Amino acid sequence: MAWQHPADILLEAWLDTQDRHLGHYVNGKWLKPEHRNSVPCQDPITGENLASCLQAQAEDVAAAVEAARTALENWSTLPGARRAQHLTRLAKMIQKHQRLLWTLESLVTGRAVREVRDRDVPLAQQLLQYHAVQAHTQEEALAGWEPMGVIGLIVPPTFSFLEMMWRICPALAVGCTVVVLVPPASPAPLLLAQLAGELGSFPGILNVISGPTSLGPVLASQPGVQKVAFCGAVEEGRALRRTLAGQGLELSLALGAESLLLLTEAADVDSAVEGVVDATWSDRSQGGLRLLIQESVWDETMTRLQARMGRLRVGRGLDGAVDMGARGAAARDLAQRYVREAQSQGAQVFQAGDVPSDSPFYPPTLISDLPPASPCAQTEVPWPLVVASPFRTAKEALAVANGTPRGGSASVWSERLGQALELGYGLRMGIVWINAHGLRDPAVPTGGCKESGSSWHGGPDGLYEYLQPSGTPARQPSLSENLNYDTFGLAVPSTLPAGPETGPSPAPPYGLFVGGRFQAPGARSSRPIQDSHGNLHGYVAEGGAKDIRGAVEAAHQAAPGWVGQSPGARAALLGALAAALERRESALAARLERHGVELKVAKAEVELSVRRLRAWGARAQAQGHTLQVAELRGPVLRLREPLGVLAIVCPDEWPLLAFVSLLAPALAHGNTVVLVPSGTCPIPALEVCQDVATLLPAGLVNVVTGDRDHLTRCMALHQDVQALWYFGSVQGSQFVEWASAGNLKPVWVNRGLPRAWDQDAEGAGPELGLRAAQTKALWLPMGD
Amino acid sequence: MAAHNLGTELDLSWISKVQVNHPAVLRRAQQVQARRTVKKEWQAAWLLKAVTFIDLTTLSGDDTSSNVQRLCYKAKYPIREDLLKALNMHDKDITTAAVCVYPARVCDAVRALKAAGCNIPVASVATGFPAGQTHLKTRLEEIRLAVEDGASEIDVVINRSLVLTGQWEGSDFIKTSTGKETVNATFPVAIVMLRAIRDFFWKTGNKIGFKPAGGIRSAKDALAWLSLIKEELGDEWLKPELFRIGASTLLSDIERQIYHHVTGRYAAYHDLPMS
Repeated sequence: MAWQHPADILLEAWLDTQDRHLGHYVNGKWLKPEHRNSVPCQDPITGENLASCLQAQAEDVAAAVEAARTALENWSTLPGARRAQHLTRLAKMIQKHQRLLWTLESLVTGRAVREVRDRDVPLAQQLLQYHAVQAHTQEEALAGWEPMGVIGLIVPPTFSFLEMMWRICPALAVGCTVVVLVPPASPAPLLLAQLAGELGSFPGILNVISGPTSLGPVLASQPGVQKVAFCGAVEEGRALRRTLAGQGLELSLALGAESLLLLTEAADVDSAVEGVVDATWSDRSQGGLRLLIQESVWDETMTRLQARMGRLRVGRGLDGAVDMGARGAAARDLAQRYVREAQSQGAQVFQAGDVPSDSPFYPPTLISDLPPASPCAQTEVPWPLVVASPFRTAKEALAVANGTPRGGSASVWSERLGQALELGYGLRMGIVWINAHGLRDPAVPTGGCKESGSSWHGGPDGLYEYLQPSGTPARQPSLSENLNYDTFGLAVPSTLPAGPETGPSPAPPYGLFVGGRFQAPGARSSRPIQDSHGNLHGYVAEGGAKDIRGAVEAAHQAAPGWVGQSPGARAALLGALAAALERRESALAARLERHGVELKVAKAEVELSVRRLRAWGARAQAQGHTLQVAELRGPVLRLREPLGVLAIVCPDEWPLLAFVSLLAPALAHGNTVVLVPSGTCPIPALEVCQDVATLLPAGLVNVVTGDRDHLTRCMALHQDVQALWYFGSVQGSQFVEWASAGNLKPVWVNRGLPRAWDQDAEGAGPELGLRAAQTKALWLPMGD
Repeated sequence: MAAHNLGTELDLSWISKVQVNHPAVLRRAQQVQARRTVKKEWQAAWLLKAVTFIDLTTLSGDDTSSNVQRLCYKAKYPIREDLLKALNMHDKDITTAAVCVYPARVCDAVRALKAAGCNIPVASVATGFPAGQTHLKTRLEEIRLAVEDGASEIDVVINRSLVLTGQWEGSDFIKTSTGKETVNATFPVAIVMLRAIRDFFWKTGNKIGFKPAGGIRSAKDALAWLSLIKEELGDEWLKPELFRIGASTLLSDIERQIYHHVTGRYAAYHDLPMS
């Protein structure tokens, strides 16, 4: 190259300080162990070798986790103000060395330097500053919560250093320490760790090791790691979910990168076309775009889009005048494969733009006429592709948009306020922008739902990702290696008549409570329930797979009605149920007494259950709030939306209180539920159902009794159950975590540990509210 | 000047269907200014191109034949000869697109340009500039007189009271403003106007010109305007027949940037001839 950009010189100087040989950055020092494989870090365009990067092995991971554990002791106990100070210093450090950072990131990833320089680097600083403020107020605002501990973060290739910043900032702010596993040949995170390390104090709070994603399970299995945060491809996330089942740690997933843009006939089409550019062809996002266009403006939009595409410039990322850079051979091949397949399935492909020919670049691509049922239409759209398809009405648009397993981000383009809000609320996505695409801010939670993974970063939700209620026991490795996932809970042990029926005549057999009434189980068999003396207390129905199927269906049918209820109406119904429980107190207490509970304690349990219903009724009134964002005129709504159909396996202990304590927050947040009550004492829950039957809409609450392992299996593997809470055995917890990988439903398991349901913190704490709903950020920019 | 706009039947449904999202346009305006930062020789080339779009303007109450004459000379020789030589552009006949003056100064301008031996057109603002609030009769007379004096382009201030009541007029060129308003040429407004020009072209095949005026003072601004035209309308509009920049001080800043590009030093004001 004849002429060298000064930025390149700066970069080379930095690489030279490491002798062009990058290791890991652990405990404030470069770590370059011997006898490791190394991979070249290349300029993706020229193929020129910039440096070599080490591939970590298990010992290196262990060393990093050890450093993070040591740092945690001090870091987590510091006053929030001290942590805030440190984060602010790091923000300033980034500011001082931003040129090196953006050059490195742009050169190695191939992304347009404009995007890295004007957006990513300032945003990285804003993230640190925002979270410094959060750390400052932590003692008051987040009382009752404590940092989880050491966080393992796994960032796959093609993700920018900013994705790492989104996650480490809240983790560090609340007092966690972090070990980041980055793919080899991505030096920007290493540089960031070095900048943090050079602040002097608190080495070891941020450690970066480079190695293949396959080291993820190694990182997760290190003692001390409490949580693993993963972002990357859906299938990798699924595999990781299965691998980490039963390891006793939290796993948060942020998967896939596809986005959606919904263009109605009431849109400013030219601006919406710019939205498409922002979404896919400006090096802002990682993935492709699904574009839904209303039929009446289809031709007009396609003309404008194609004209706009013709003016896009593709080139070397460090060129200040390109829209799009290159993303390396893997991304290009993926795009190429998708396009070929789409063509073979009958799609039209339009490519345009000023693209260098002799290079690893891929042109902006617009695909249309892809048959909706073709395999391509089902798979995730890769960068830099846009797949356009038409819709007729807003209702159809919602059906199409929600008809995918993905639930990441979307934008709605319409100048009609009512329509825009209707679509914005109706989309099952983590983020929705109205008449904009791709806006981000540290104060706004960013995340997803469905198979996009239900993890959040930014805003209050980002903080809770790294917090646990104070006093949560440390991680207990409870993995049972020989748990057979294929057979767990597969067969139901046969139940025979348990006679002789002694003492007072046993209660009549209850059916399953499904769809608002008691029904006979599909298997037409019953299981005996014994009292504390081992005598027969009664029979309950033996539910099975078909009963779960029916219950989930009933719950889905009830969902739209319940979601449509105002919080006030929900509160009123929970209040009515509380009153009914109060009236039933003596009968319930008697049931509990038969199971060996002292009458006084039994009465207290009923009373507490009544209180729980009332408390959650009151909390139903206050959900969601407005965020103010710098540089945006207009509000961002942080909505708390129901998860959908929530399956709950109640613990054996506290047969009434635990049942109510779990049911109440679920209903208050608008979910419909399928519950499996206490296995040893299911009858109080069924008693409550007699009131549910008369008070609540049919299908809202469904209670299925039977073999817990079997029912757990059915619900965990059910693809149309949106979330699952499990309170039972160690093995059951492990199975639930493993099986949840199917539709990546968020799960909450107790890993065999008891919970103090009679204590407010554990029985009615904010943790339940957090888990009972999902966040959606709705951006509403305004202007005349 | 391109072929005249022959006009079409007035169809107000075109206008009523237009949707403009203000925040989105503002975002686009910000992006336009950041996405095409050209440097080095490419920057010099774009700056020379920008010179050829300038309507070198003087619209002061105290204009006389002497400063109009100076302006015309500058229009003919916008960049110092030695700088152009260094860029090997001295034989490309780089001049500004036009000279723009008040009607009363048209004679002076025509005479000065003739003396300088060039055929740069003289544009005249007319029709009760800048408010346009005079009688139709005197406004038409004003145009006729300016043309008689040798003006070949007329910047007409439309009757905005008619616009605000939905009675539109046609034109070959549209301007962002007179340059005499409190807010003049801004990117968001220009984006909306350019999109209207493009829509009109797609519907009728007529290319309408565009002239931002007022407040464009720096070379950097001028480059942003050029990239905006290129992005929104395309290269076909990047010619003096369809794009002008109304400016008086812009040229000297462009010349300073060229000076820096050629010499590597920053120029003092007296290093470059005034306009």
